[in-house]
Amino acid sequence: MNLTNTSHPGIHQEDASDHSLIPPCQNACPLHMDIREYVSLVSQGRIMEALQVIRMGNPFPSICAYVCTHPCEESCRRAQVDKPIAIRSLKRFAVEFGGDRMIRTEAETKYSDKVAIVGSGPAGLACAYYVKKIGYPVTILEAHSDLGGMLRVGIPQYRLPREVLDTEIQRLTHMGVEIRTNTRVVSLDLLFELGYKAIFITIGAHQSLRLGIEGEESPGVIDGATFLREVNLGIKPSLGRRVMVAGGGNVAIDAARTAVRLGVKHVSIFYRRTRSEMPADPQELEQALEEGVKIKYLSTPVRIDRENDRLKMTCVRMELGEPDESGRRRPVPIKGSEFTKEFDSLIVAIGQAPQTPSDFGVRIGRGSTIQVDPSTLTTNRTGVFAGGDAVTGPATVTEALAAGRLAASRIDDYLQHRYPLPVKETNEKLSGELLPKTIEMIRKIERSEPLSLVGETRVKDFETVEQVYGWEAAINEARRCLRCGVGVEILFQDKCATCLTCLRVCPYHVPRLDNTGNINIPADQCQACGICVAECPAKAIVLRKPFDRRQVSEELTHTIKLATESKNKPPIIGFCCQYGLFGTGTLSRLWRGAKAGVTIVPVLCVAKVEANHLLSAFETGAEGVFIAGCGEQCARENTTYWVKQRVEKVRKVLRSIGIEPERLQVFTLGTAVADPTEELDRFIEQISALRLSSVIKEEAIS
Amino acid sequence: MIVAEQKSLEEIRRMIAPYPRVLILGCGTCMTVCNAGGESEVSFLHNSLRLAEVRSGDGIHTFTEHTVKRQCDPEFLETLSEKTIDVDVILSLGCGIGVQAIAEYLGDIPVLPGVNTSFMGMTKESGVWDERCAACGECRLEDTGGICPITRCTKGILNGPCAGSKNGKCEANKDVDCAWILIYKRLERLQQLDKMRRYYSPRNFRAIPRPRRILSKVEIATGESDG
Repeated sequence: MNLTNTSHPGIHQEDASDHSLIPPCQNACPLHMDIREYVSLVSQGRIMEALQVIRMGNPFPSICAYVCTHPCEESCRRAQVDKPIAIRSLKRFAVEFGGDRMIRTEAETKYSDKVAIVGSGPAGLACAYYVKKIGYPVTILEAHSDLGGMLRVGIPQYRLPREVLDTEIQRLTHMGVEIRTNTRVVSLDLLFELGYKAIFITIGAHQSLRLGIEGEESPGVIDGATFLREVNLGIKPSLGRRVMVAGGGNVAIDAARTAVRLGVKHVSIFYRRTRSEMPADPQELEQALEEGVKIKYLSTPVRIDRENDRLKMTCVRMELGEPDESGRRRPVPIKGSEFTKEFDSLIVAIGQAPQTPSDFGVRIGRGSTIQVDPSTLTTNRTGVFAGGDAVTGPATVTEALAAGRLAASRIDDYLQHRYPLPVKETNEKLSGELLPKTIEMIRKIERSEPLSLVGETRVKDFETVEQVYGWEAAINEARRCLRCGVGVEILFQDKCATCLTCLRVCPYHVPRLDNTGNINIPADQCQACGICVAECPAKAIVLRKPFDRRQVSEELTHTIKLATESKNKPPIIGFCCQYGLFGTGTLSRLWRGAKAGVTIVPVLCVAKVEANHLLSAFETGAEGVFIAGCGEQCARENTTYWVKQRVEKVRKVLRSIGIEPERLQVFTLGTAVADPTEELDRFIEQISALRLSSVIKEEAIS
Repeated sequence: MIVAEQKSLEEIRRMIAPYPRVLILGCGTCMTVCNAGGESEVSFLHNSLRLAEVRSGDGIHTFTEHTVKRQCDPEFLETLSEKTIDVDVILSLGCGIGVQAIAEYLGDIPVLPGVNTSFMGMTKESGVWDERCAACGECRLEDTGGICPITRCTKGILNGPCAGSKNGKCEANKDVDCAWILIYKRLERLQQLDKMRRYYSPRNFRAIPRPRRILSKVEIATGESDG
């Protein structure tokens, strides 16, 4: 078996290092998750492995699968072509179909230093998870009766089902994390006295900000955080028929949608800026509108009068002035634009701040947040760390999880008297926009959203709005990924003959001839289809990931090895695309089911199968070889064209050495030809017939 | 660029038949560009030959492969000596020049041509090459609007078009443009049609005896260059 490059031994030893670039999605993720990898695994239907990748960077993927604000999707470069990949929905698919619920995490206690975590929000839970995993005894101290912090008392159930949260908390209990609920910590000294060696403060930001207007103390006015907490803890506040929500963040939207679910007929959000400045997740906003929530932009209440058990709200219209320090344009009241409206209640959701007991003795900074060193999360007190909303002010669950994870490793450093090692990023970040000529050639594939409950149904209860993908929808959505940063590079610049083949064969016009006469393949444009790798006459181009470089050869060697061991030569070898329908979708039964005599070499797109691989398959004694690809359904361009070119080249060789060229076939989906299953059956029959005739011929000769 | 085409597998197998140990030697310059003998083709030929061996059942051959940057310069061949220790023959996928350069460099090992060196030409599109220059040593492209009648006219005539030109195509092959019509059109565009009115005398083939050599340096007497 000679599939590797032996022509330049010593000089061009295959470089095993990973030259892939960090894609924008991973870069945007607070947890720095390997999104590209798990999306790719989903697209191959390898759900369990996808979940494994997800679990590597995320202690509670099931929670993120519901509530993550997906900054990854915001930075997804597919948006430049059509719409970003539905990453969060794919994660949810992997979590549910991969059986995350069944995964049990074990942790043994290796050290005796006890760690206390004050607060059980996402940061606290994540920190507990990792500290326990490293091997310290951990105690979580929670003021409320249930664990979860904002996950429990802030986020409405229709966004995060409580079973999901409970499962994660059970997992922590199973790991041996000690949990003390209904325990409000008032002094850190006491904790140190109790023998805790390190403390992580993650008390969140539960204190709602006030509008600071006349009448705010009136009955009927409630703040957003309290309102959501009450509802989430099972209290049903009576709001009346008409409710105003003041604010434009996610809490405002959550409060409005929760009010709708409590049966309030008229819910209006008043926001002082416009939609484009609104910090709320656009998707949440969209869903709120679907549920009948009204939004009034550029308006804010300035005075509340309570008359006849109702709130008479005096509001004022705003216009946008100069940008403020947040970069958003400052709303300025328009003189004389006051108007009044009557409501039964008002929910004030204009922001929250942490409320840290002064006895903690930690330094408090701007916005009542705890001041920490951002890279070590240490406070002014030795052994006291802080993270989450208490440090950042209201932020996302994922950011809190990241803070918890960071705190765990810093607490470990502290307890082991180690100098904290800086996190080193070995691979470069991918940056740069796709060029118009590249975009033009990328196939536009509609983003498929998972089903959602319809607006009228979902307002009746707190059922989760977004449903999980079906198998096929998830795989097709994952196939849209552009695989940013894992494309090709000219690894052996000295071998490059500047023949311009890559430039000519690239469907996306990516390779460029620079003005010094060298070829460049810009990493930020490459679509990783692999055509140029197989076509390069100098073998100078390789895929950036060592695994991708070797994949076809290794799978083939593996297949052959298995066949040799079983002393049962595979009569038919099929190179079969693992993406999409062939690998995993409706046609997967072709390969999963025992089709007598067919051995499958899984490949990640048939464009990566080189002519040499086909020859090698024949060399092992295969009676027939075929390539099965997605044809017109392939997410990349021209793949079938190049496969057919290579097949013709190999057929010529076969013909010249007395092997019938029909023994090599290409099957593609999406062509007008009949069902590929039938075609394949016919091919197998044909091969058996050829085999029979050759046996007869041999017998006749002997 | 020199353009060549790989010989048929049958012919290659016939050539190597007497030699059990074969080194397939690629060339990293022209032969790579014209897809006849770069590293990729070397490896494809290697696999093809091995498959042929397996299928015919007479597997006496062993193959090794190697590609040098350019076969036509002896300095690039220095790495060859260690590659040829256990080798009975070199199957060169270099052009005719490469084959000869290796034969000259390695006196004791036979060298076989794995490609048919075809012409000097250019790439039309990926996988398609066209002949453009006959290396006549007497370039007249100045008078013919940059279009060579010697290579592009089937008859190679210097005063055309001939009577066989029809609708801009050649009588010998209707898919081939008549070079002289191309020349006419180009000269017309350049407003140099007067060049068509001249008579070009036949080429003097005796003036270029072979083998030709080009000297781009002058002889300098010993001692003079030292200072």
